[in-house]
Amino acid sequence: MARVLRMPGVAANTTEAVLAEWLVQESADFAAADPIATVETDKAAVDVEADAAGRVLKTLVPPGAQVEVGDPIAVLGDPGEQVDDLDALLASLGVGAVTDPVVPVRREVPAEPPPPTRVFASPLARRLAKDAGLALEEIDGTGPRGRVLRRDVDAAVAKHNGATAQAADDPTYELVPHSRVRRATARRLVESKRTAPHFYVRATVRAEGLLALRAALNRDESLGVSVNDLVVKAVAAAHERVPDLNVTWSDDGVRRYRSVDVGVAVATDRGLMTPVVRDVGSLTVGRLAREIRDLAERARDGRLRPDDLEGGSMAVTNLGMYGVAEFAAIINPPHAAILAVGAVRDEPVVEDGAVVPGKVMTVTLSVDHRPVDGVVAARWLAVLVELLEEPVRTLA
Amino acid sequence: MPEHRPLEPATPWVEVVATDADWDAADPDLLRTIYAQLVWVRAFEQYVLDLAGAGLVHGPAHSSIGQEGGAVGSVLALTSDDTVNGSHRGHHQFLAKALHHVEPKGLDPLAPPSDAVREVLLRTLAEIAGLDRGWSHGRGGSMHLQWKDAGAMGTNAIVGGGVPQAAGFAWSHRRAGTDAVSVTYFGDGAANIGSTLETMNLASAWDLPVCFFVENNRYAVSTTVEEATGEPRLSSRGPGFGIAAWKVDGMDPLATHLAMTEAVEHMRRGRGPTLVEADTYRFFHQNGGFAGSAFGYRSKEEERQWRARDPLTQTAGHLVRRGLLTEEETERAGAQARSVLEEVGSVLLEPDPQGKPGTRRIRSAEWPDPGWVDVGVRGDLSELADPPVVTDESSVAVADTKLIDAVATVMGRRMETDPGVVVMGEDVHRLNGGTNGATRGLADRFPGRILGTPISENAFAGLAGGIALDGRFTPVVEFMYADFMWVAADQLFNQIAKARHMYGGSGGVPLVLRSKVAMGTGYGSQHSMDPAGIFASSVGWRIVAPSTPYDYVGLMNTALRLRDPVVVLEHVDLYTSTGPGPVDDWDYCLPVGQASVRRRGSDVTVLSYLGMTPYVLGAVEEHGGVDAEVIDLRWLDRASIDWDTIEESLTRTNQVLIAEQGAIGTSYGGWLADEIHRRFFDLLDAPVWRVTGGEASPSISKVLERAAIAQQAEVVAALDEIARY
Repeated sequence: MARVLRMPGVAANTTEAVLAEWLVQESADFAAADPIATVETDKAAVDVEADAAGRVLKTLVPPGAQVEVGDPIAVLGDPGEQVDDLDALLASLGVGAVTDPVVPVRREVPAEPPPPTRVFASPLARRLAKDAGLALEEIDGTGPRGRVLRRDVDAAVAKHNGATAQAADDPTYELVPHSRVRRATARRLVESKRTAPHFYVRATVRAEGLLALRAALNRDESLGVSVNDLVVKAVAAAHERVPDLNVTWSDDGVRRYRSVDVGVAVATDRGLMTPVVRDVGSLTVGRLAREIRDLAERARDGRLRPDDLEGGSMAVTNLGMYGVAEFAAIINPPHAAILAVGAVRDEPVVEDGAVVPGKVMTVTLSVDHRPVDGVVAARWLAVLVELLEEPVRTLA
Repeated sequence: MPEHRPLEPATPWVEVVATDADWDAADPDLLRTIYAQLVWVRAFEQYVLDLAGAGLVHGPAHSSIGQEGGAVGSVLALTSDDTVNGSHRGHHQFLAKALHHVEPKGLDPLAPPSDAVREVLLRTLAEIAGLDRGWSHGRGGSMHLQWKDAGAMGTNAIVGGGVPQAAGFAWSHRRAGTDAVSVTYFGDGAANIGSTLETMNLASAWDLPVCFFVENNRYAVSTTVEEATGEPRLSSRGPGFGIAAWKVDGMDPLATHLAMTEAVEHMRRGRGPTLVEADTYRFFHQNGGFAGSAFGYRSKEEERQWRARDPLTQTAGHLVRRGLLTEEETERAGAQARSVLEEVGSVLLEPDPQGKPGTRRIRSAEWPDPGWVDVGVRGDLSELADPPVVTDESSVAVADTKLIDAVATVMGRRMETDPGVVVMGEDVHRLNGGTNGATRGLADRFPGRILGTPISENAFAGLAGGIALDGRFTPVVEFMYADFMWVAADQLFNQIAKARHMYGGSGGVPLVLRSKVAMGTGYGSQHSMDPAGIFASSVGWRIVAPSTPYDYVGLMNTALRLRDPVVVLEHVDLYTSTGPGPVDDWDYCLPVGQASVRRRGSDVTVLSYLGMTPYVLGAVEEHGGVDAEVIDLRWLDRASIDWDTIEESLTRTNQVLIAEQGAIGTSYGGWLADEIHRRFFDLLDAPVWRVTGGEASPSISKVLERAAIAQQAEVVAALDEIARY
């Protein structure tokens, strides 16, 4: 009767051992108490003795192999036993292929990122500043190594309140306390200008196609598509064609995104917000218009969720409704670019050598030079111009 | 040429040999019981090895196969009132004691096991496999088997570690007026360790009814007894300490039983301790199911010779020879035991559907709940539920009292009201109350309860640990200097501190250690430490640190009511100091976990204790520029510290200074600073400040000693720094 010989546990808590030597070869018989194999751990070399007479039908591991305790190492049979179909026998005993020992692969350890620059503050000062809506960066620390302490926060709060009170006395101006959004916007934009080297590319596009497409779509009045919605759609289409701009900078490397998420700048009473529309490429124009409207409404009502404001590689900002011809915007970190869109205006244009009346619109792309070079930006802008002038292609 | 006069040991040293005539004369029921026990233990041990081989025993399985004769032969000379403890190789001793307890009239090898026997096998197997059904819910495992009801007081994984406790069990038996005896089993390896030798001396000095039972199996792991000692006849250790000694063939259960019967008789008659050396042999390696020869330290031939003297075969041979059993019946007994073990095992095990064919796994319901990991490290304080725990501290009338007088008075009061309290330590019975007068007048008032010890802290601390584990008496141990804790470290930190948790969490260890801090007395590097930091790292101990006579009395009263080990720190500087102490109420208890605010303040919270508290209060007055709140912690251990008071204070001050006197390496404040940073991070306006002594231990030289320890001036300097922050 065939049976499986398993790797014995030689000492307490050993999980594997080396099959050092087969003392009985395949197809050889042995008597009870004969040593069949020698097994080694770092502590001992042990002979595995037969509990009854038999024959080694098949050894399953070669000498020198490291084997987990309990794994099969041989198939034993009765003395003289012959087996015709060894594979079938192995299968019937539940013994599969014997795997080789696994060698662990060395993993590269990423280099330590440079330490962030930070303001030192006591734990209590951090909490008090947060409660007072003050940024630690704005408080002078007087503790060891400039550490911000409770007394510094207390002083800053007093100064802030004093300044407010003083302003009320000074008739030349009114001091409007910062909202949290304005404070955050200010900090982010300062950070952006300071850390992201900006460069700018600009193009003027013929807007007749955009206007015609908008008019055609809005024949269904429920859609309510704006020129800006079509620009956002075109940005996504341009990203699909020039993915090198669908990126952001990080200290570890340039992040290249798999979907196109686009931020849309919304002016609110509390300040500028830039909620992000996800996977713009997959949305119909009607759906996109609805999402942008929804985000803008929620931004104005202060109902945005934190995750509405996260992600994306680029934003679109539009002052066209105020008649602004063109402007350049500051990138909203961590984005790599922002597209500033001006008003559609009537201008004489040259067409086939003749000056004719035309509809034009100027777009200005601000780009973070760290992840994106000028050529990439230029190529992307050229594609965008084509898409804006033949916007029906963005619907494909 | 000087004259040489031969000297003789004062106590007998004999070898007991059983002849065929002794076997013929032995009571048939005794022989049947011996055989039945041997068979049960052998089958059990074989089954444990099978489980270990299948990876179902986590940790070592120290097999006793081959050594059953000594344990069975000796245990059958005892009753359930007698106690045993043992070593890491203790399955056989434990099973023999437990089986004898449930079947005191004896066992028939052919009879099916009673439910009680099955229960013993099941719970022991479960414990060894680390399962909830075990005696200690799987916490103790193979090396910590305890069933107090059966008189099995606990096996021990530290070589010789259980021996001092056995002297404590013996002391309790005698003090309780019984003739019960204590047996401590250990191996040849433990015959040379200090705990064992110190305890032999102490037991002999105090005539304690304890038997030192040496299972000499010739190997400490792979080191032979001849390599380990110049006198491998280990029973010779007895006469050197004035202990009567027997040597016997441990492979012969009847010979062992005869020798043990004589030794037990000796102890019951009040003649003091005994030593029995049983020559025996473990058939396998230190642990696991392979022979020692596989590891190359002994020969197969030697193993064959010892196996030929297997206690089971020998006993079976005599039973057959006397016609008490047939050969077939002896085999049937073994087969029955093996099949019962399979049945018992199947309660705990099931086939492993994910495993290799034929493999088994632990049934998931048998494991202890991981959420239980820290439960029972210490008691639940229910022992303090009744008054007189004071909540309003102004309710006790106080007057100026010298602290050392309060120390002696409250102990006298407790000994008067509780006949279980016993005090031991070096010189506590002489010098009019020990070296400092802490036991003044008590030796005369309470004869037999103020025990002057030999200078062997590990032995007498361990003996006290045994008294505490036994539970009938409450030992108070005095250490003349705190530094001596290192001498007794195994008993204090491995045994007393861990015992409750390790044995399942429910058995108390009521012991009070009075530890004197002598910093500032010029006793130098080895007598000047503050032990609080070390005790705080040893979970299980509660620590109290009184700085006034009032606190000392209330905290000592609480310590003596607690069922946990409590170290009461006493600072020699404070002994002669005067402060508020009780006028007539010596029975009030201060609640566990309540600090005392000694001074209100708003700038910084100062946490201090013991002899440093007066220095802190002095420093705050002297400095004058920092309005410090001074908290005298009183309770120092992790479980008893007063977090509420600390938090309330920190909420107002936002800064904390931990002030203590001792060297920084063993200092107390380290763990506390860590905990404060994590618990109260948002309350902190500065890093946790600390005042400690220097790096080195204090020296003898007066100026160097002063420079090494922190006092008032160091606190003033710290307050200065805080003022400048």
